[in-house]
Amino acid sequence: MGFFTSYSCVLFVFFCGNLMLGEISVHAAEPSGDEDLKAPWLNEDSYFPSLRLSSSFPEDVEMIDHCLKLLHDFGQRYTSLSSCLVSNARPVKMCQNCYSGYNNFLEMYTNISTQMGSGNKSCEELLLHADRLMLLYNLYKGLNDIWESAECTSCLTNKSMSNTTLYFIDRHNQSLTCFEKYSQGNYSELCVECKTSYKVLNDLYSNMSKNKSLCIDVEDAMNSTRYSWSKVYNCSLTREENVPVIAVSSFMLFLPLIFYLSNYLHSEQKKRKLMHPKRAKSSHSLMNIQDKYS
Amino acid sequence: MANNIAKKVSWSGEGTPLLNGAEESRYSGQPSGGNMFHIGRMSTVDLEEEAITAEEQDPVRHRPSEIPHNENLLSLKYESLDYDNSENQLFLDEERRMSHMSFRCLEISRWFICGLIGILTGLIACFIDVVVEKLAGLKYDVVKENIEKFTEDGGLSVSLILWVVLNSAFVMFGAIIVAFIEPIAAGSGIPQIKCYLNGVKVPRVVRLKTLLVKVCGVICSVAGGLAVGKEGPMIHSGAVVAAGVSQGRSTSLKRDLKIFEYFRRDTEKRDFVSAGAAAGVSAAFGAPVGGVLFSLEEGASFWNQMLTWRIFFASMISTFTLNFFMSCYKGKLGELSNPGLINFGGFTLESVQYSIYEIPLFIIMGAIGGLLGALFNVLNYWLTIFRIRYVHRRCLQVMEAMLVAAVSATVSFTMIYFSTDCQPLKDSSQEYSLQLFCADGEYNAMATAFFNTPEKSVRSLFHSPPGTYNVQTLGLFTLTYFFLACWTYGLAVSAGVFIPSLLIGAAWGRLFGILLSLVFPSKITIWTDPGKYALMGAAAQLGGIVRMTLSLTVILVEATGNVTYGLPIMLVLMTAKIVGDYFIEGLYDVHIKLQSVPFLHWEAPATSHWLTAREVMSSPVTCFRRVEKVGTIVDVLSAMSTNHNGFPVIMQAGTDDEPGKLCGLILRSQLIVLLKHKVFVERAHSQLGRRRLRLKDFRDAYPRFPPIQSIHVSQDERECMMDLTEFMNPTPYTVLQETSLPRVFKLFRALGLRHLVVIDEGNTVMGLVTRKDLARYHLGKHGLLEEMDLAHP
Repeated sequence: MGFFTSYSCVLFVFFCGNLMLGEISVHAAEPSGDEDLKAPWLNEDSYFPSLRLSSSFPEDVEMIDHCLKLLHDFGQRYTSLSSCLVSNARPVKMCQNCYSGYNNFLEMYTNISTQMGSGNKSCEELLLHADRLMLLYNLYKGLNDIWESAECTSCLTNKSMSNTTLYFIDRHNQSLTCFEKYSQGNYSELCVECKTSYKVLNDLYSNMSKNKSLCIDVEDAMNSTRYSWSKVYNCSLTREENVPVIAVSSFMLFLPLIFYLSNYLHSEQKKRKLMHPKRAKSSHSLMNIQDKYS
Repeated sequence: MANNIAKKVSWSGEGTPLLNGAEESRYSGQPSGGNMFHIGRMSTVDLEEEAITAEEQDPVRHRPSEIPHNENLLSLKYESLDYDNSENQLFLDEERRMSHMSFRCLEISRWFICGLIGILTGLIACFIDVVVEKLAGLKYDVVKENIEKFTEDGGLSVSLILWVVLNSAFVMFGAIIVAFIEPIAAGSGIPQIKCYLNGVKVPRVVRLKTLLVKVCGVICSVAGGLAVGKEGPMIHSGAVVAAGVSQGRSTSLKRDLKIFEYFRRDTEKRDFVSAGAAAGVSAAFGAPVGGVLFSLEEGASFWNQMLTWRIFFASMISTFTLNFFMSCYKGKLGELSNPGLINFGGFTLESVQYSIYEIPLFIIMGAIGGLLGALFNVLNYWLTIFRIRYVHRRCLQVMEAMLVAAVSATVSFTMIYFSTDCQPLKDSSQEYSLQLFCADGEYNAMATAFFNTPEKSVRSLFHSPPGTYNVQTLGLFTLTYFFLACWTYGLAVSAGVFIPSLLIGAAWGRLFGILLSLVFPSKITIWTDPGKYALMGAAAQLGGIVRMTLSLTVILVEATGNVTYGLPIMLVLMTAKIVGDYFIEGLYDVHIKLQSVPFLHWEAPATSHWLTAREVMSSPVTCFRRVEKVGTIVDVLSAMSTNHNGFPVIMQAGTDDEPGKLCGLILRSQLIVLLKHKVFVERAHSQLGRRRLRLKDFRDAYPRFPPIQSIHVSQDERECMMDLTEFMNPTPYTVLQETSLPRVFKLFRALGLRHLVVIDEGNTVMGLVTRKDLARYHLGKHGLLEEMDLAHP
């Protein structure tokens, strides 16, 4: 047994070195795989029985267990966040409803990437960068990218919804209630009645947009409200004062005509005084060019 | 002063008084025809005679003495620059005195000056950019706020009036300073710089005052919403900076730093001006190589490898100075990625790649650009003639500029008001987006094109994703902007034509791209992005208007930062030039012609080999003897009719009748300095301790030599004699009478001559050829050689 341990230790060093270099060495992995299959501590508590993590850290079982535990939690939180996102996709309410899930998920990832195990080996190396695929990292990155492009952080303060956002949601609901109330009858009535609440909402939105405190939830809510206001209920402004605009602009367009005409008629035409050059007289004078050619 | 500026080397003024002291002048002109000319009967008799003979030969020749302005005139206002170095005794003395070390120092100071030119030009570009951005931003903010307010409450005509008033106010200021302070600062300045590099001394073109007016004027006209750009004036500004810095002093400010005195002459100054022009281009477009090539293309009669390298240095410094200070301004210190006033943005996406079967399409676009460019030039030509003839009073020019500004605002407003093209608002890429009557959350697409500085509109046309503009918007925009730009160019405001051309071209190019994808609704992804068609359209339109070739290709390639576009851009520009040249010349050449500048093209007109120097030259020539009486010199110089600039010096002949043999050439400016310092033979004997005149004394008077009227010569001094031997150029270029016109032309153009003495076999002065004698020949419409008339300024 002593011989066996030392043998696998040597192999381990070899294998590990290859992993560190980031390449998969088939020749080194094959013999050690054979040995590993027989290892007694392999299939017991591991969450993914087929995972042969132990091959990397054969002497630190505790450490591996810890990492696998983290992996397990990561999976659970990932699942709950994804399902939350999907269920809040339309209408978009992901920032309002999933921020706690995201915070948990983020915390988990931070745990994995920062927690140090014994022997200077962290779970980060083991779980995140151990192979070409870097599955966990990419999963994390995918969700994180979604979160960032949604700009949810601008609606959150201290990991909970900010006051402005809550206020916006409140106003938004008011507008919607108003729309619902009048949408049965004539739309023109709706346009008059809901104008104030809509306008407050619109101004609030523009303000938030100036302060860069917009997230996808707010944008989407505003978009749909604007759509129903302008397109469904036809409340947007119409051109009503064509006449004055046309009058003013045709007056302006008329001015240059007067200007040029009066200049043409009244301004004295600029004449150029010619002067005649001193030339030597000769039979080949240029005056004869015309003759030559004609 | 006027007498001094106007250069007519050998023209007789019409109706001018008879020359005083005519009998003292020597005339060696004895034309082969056998007619002996005497100065005494020069003006009137000469004229009559010519008129009579002309009438006999060809009645068409008898022209009225006053005609309306047209393109076939040469103005007497323009002089040549003295590019030919006068190798007189003083020059040789100085060269002997200079050590090897001081030649080294000269070389180093040339580099230093070029660096300085680059830095200052970059700073000016930076200043213009920042101020325009601030002012235009302010204006658009005010107008936008106003429009938003009145869209809801009604009364949009008030917003229209506000916009009109703001525009006109900016433009009024810009036009007033241009029209009343420095009219030469009008326009883009590229024609003027082209003339300067060609060897024509355009009065006041490289003064400090011109620079100030130019910079303020361009800020006003761009902020005033005219259809203009700020790129063309940068070239002029760079040239002025170069001409100023290289002299180490400012005559306007009366400051002399006592440095760079060696460079105070036309030859050296021209080299620096070409560096300045290059630095200007490079700052304007972020195109250092394009700048060098611009100088090469526009002014390259005199060129060498070291000069090119120095010009390149100035260009690079200029674009990176701009870069650096723009990065400071934008708060990203040291990030050198803002080259140029106009930045086309990178064309690096997958969708803007092109493939080989698109090249015919690009060539078609080039042809369209050539046609539209020719139309632009023809319209502008007629407009400019009208302006010169009828709108020549200054207050009228200011009024015209204000009207154009008002109409530009009105047209833009009307377009935006009646546009129904609403596009969903993407993240705030458009800075001044207007909503107007669009649904909430959408913006007016017409407003992104009109309600913006032209640079931003160009960039938006290049890079906005497909579907940002619809066909109707682009069509209307192209149409209106075309006429606005055409109307605007030539006003009394400083403004360039580059950006409006690019904008027109980008608009119809994008339209072309959109139509293409409508006609072939296949899934070929390569046609989905109209951005690259916008770029090609812009290139075609610009090429069709200005007809630059090599430098424009490189400028556009550098401005897009994509070398792979080199081939299509080149093809487009070539096609545009070929098609456009069939109808009319480039815009700059049209304007040079209309300003009656004696501009020398690359070659003499074809079919002119039968003309010889005898027919081309002016004769008789006013000459001086080697030792001449002061009175004679003063009389000749102050005579109205002989504001000539170069005088052949002839050997003392035994008798007065004998024709003199050529022994040198002396310039008016030299004579004036000599008179000022009273370098008379008699004085030299009486005052032995007197300092000898040195080359420095000539340089100190450069470039504004005092007029002859300001020099007082007493009656006693008139009787003194002046020895010209030491000061004249002992070996002027000469040709024989039988030399053909193209040969004379080549000599003139290649060496940058100002005077070319025509002699016979016995070295007798027969006549003098100057720039105006050569520039007056041009090929007419039917391939016939025609002659231009000379006109008073």
